[in-house]
Amino acid sequence: MPSFSIPGVRITGIASVVPGERVAVKAASAVAPDDFAKVVASTGVVGRHIAPAEVCTSDLCASAAEQLLAQVGWDRSSIDLLIFVTQTPDFVLPATACSLHGRLRLAKSCGAFDLNLGCSGYVYGVSVAAAHLNSGAASRVLLLVGDTISKVVSPQDRSVAYLFGDAGTATLLEKSPTGAAMHFVTGSDGHGSGHLQIPAGMFRTPSREETRMARQRDGGNVRSDEQLFMNGPEIFNFTLREVPPLIEGALKQAGWQRETVDGFVLHQANRFMLDYLAKRMKLSPERVVLALENFGNTSSASIPLAICSRLHERLPQGPARLVLAGFGVGFSWAAAAIEFDQPVIAPVAHL
Amino acid sequence: MTKKDFFALLDELLENDPGTIRGGEALAGMARWDSLAVIGFIALLDQHFALSVPAVRIMDCKTVDDLAALVGDKVTG
Repeated sequence: MPSFSIPGVRITGIASVVPGERVAVKAASAVAPDDFAKVVASTGVVGRHIAPAEVCTSDLCASAAEQLLAQVGWDRSSIDLLIFVTQTPDFVLPATACSLHGRLRLAKSCGAFDLNLGCSGYVYGVSVAAAHLNSGAASRVLLLVGDTISKVVSPQDRSVAYLFGDAGTATLLEKSPTGAAMHFVTGSDGHGSGHLQIPAGMFRTPSREETRMARQRDGGNVRSDEQLFMNGPEIFNFTLREVPPLIEGALKQAGWQRETVDGFVLHQANRFMLDYLAKRMKLSPERVVLALENFGNTSSASIPLAICSRLHERLPQGPARLVLAGFGVGFSWAAAAIEFDQPVIAPVAHL
Repeated sequence: MTKKDFFALLDELLENDPGTIRGGEALAGMARWDSLAVIGFIALLDQHFALSVPAVRIMDCKTVDDLAALVGDKVTG
């Protein structure tokens, strides 16, 4: 796995926005109550925020960006680069980053592009932003990361129906010549691409009547080929194989002992997986940040959302060492060891 | 580990009364053997045997003895 360090950059602030009111997780009519209770106990998700049809990921991210820019007090014309990380863009084309550039009234000299990644996307986004800052390609970066996965989930598929929530986040990064280096480890395994996938609806398998039709699958789950398929057991295998060395790799790259880490913020996949990984890696439970209960798995947004939800009081108080680790769809994974230097962290807001 | 101990772990995983599983039972007849149980079984293999088995091989198992066979000679008796 590639490991690298990027000096001279810092995270200045993070904000997160979720849609409307929190909605309690409810069983679909076809699901037995006992079965539903068992799934909820395993996922740890009691409620989540679901975007209405007219609200897109970009709307949540634009709101988070406006909130954060106001709090940090930056002149928006000073932003050199906008990166939008999502798997739920507004359009096939153009890049949603370009329309967000217009909505946020950024300068014409500001670059903008999308990154198509999910669970690992936030850490990849931070690494790409940091590389641009360190190279001199940018002085200030706006990183927008989010997903509205609820829009592609079948309510009759128990493997995904009670798990996912929606969220959009904004992170501001800037050059900081005196700041501590950020340390990264990244990796991919394309052989896992079929285990978490929307099989149809794009160019490989275009949308047609058959792909739009919901059908019964193994285990009684019902979904169409244009809805999310998740092979939970194989993803758990992948996670056990890759995440412990990923986190060890980030600690090694940073030269940190795990006892000196203030918080491990892992992709909020599900409660069972996070509890087992923490036990397996012998991480102190009080240092493992959990924010699933009220938000669910929010895909690419889950790490910054967990920071805003659980660490918005702690991080502004003083320096803090965090290990961030994203892993999942792709398969793709990335970890970062970052010493936060009193950034602005907004508590989670509602659109 | 003995087969008896292995079956005890399976009973715990499936929230059965101790001693319910004795070997030979068909997995298809067990209401609690579902995708969540498969995930729990993967954790069991990792925790007790440091073993990783592709999910498809677990889901292809027909009986609890087939599950025990996945562990090979780490389960005896």
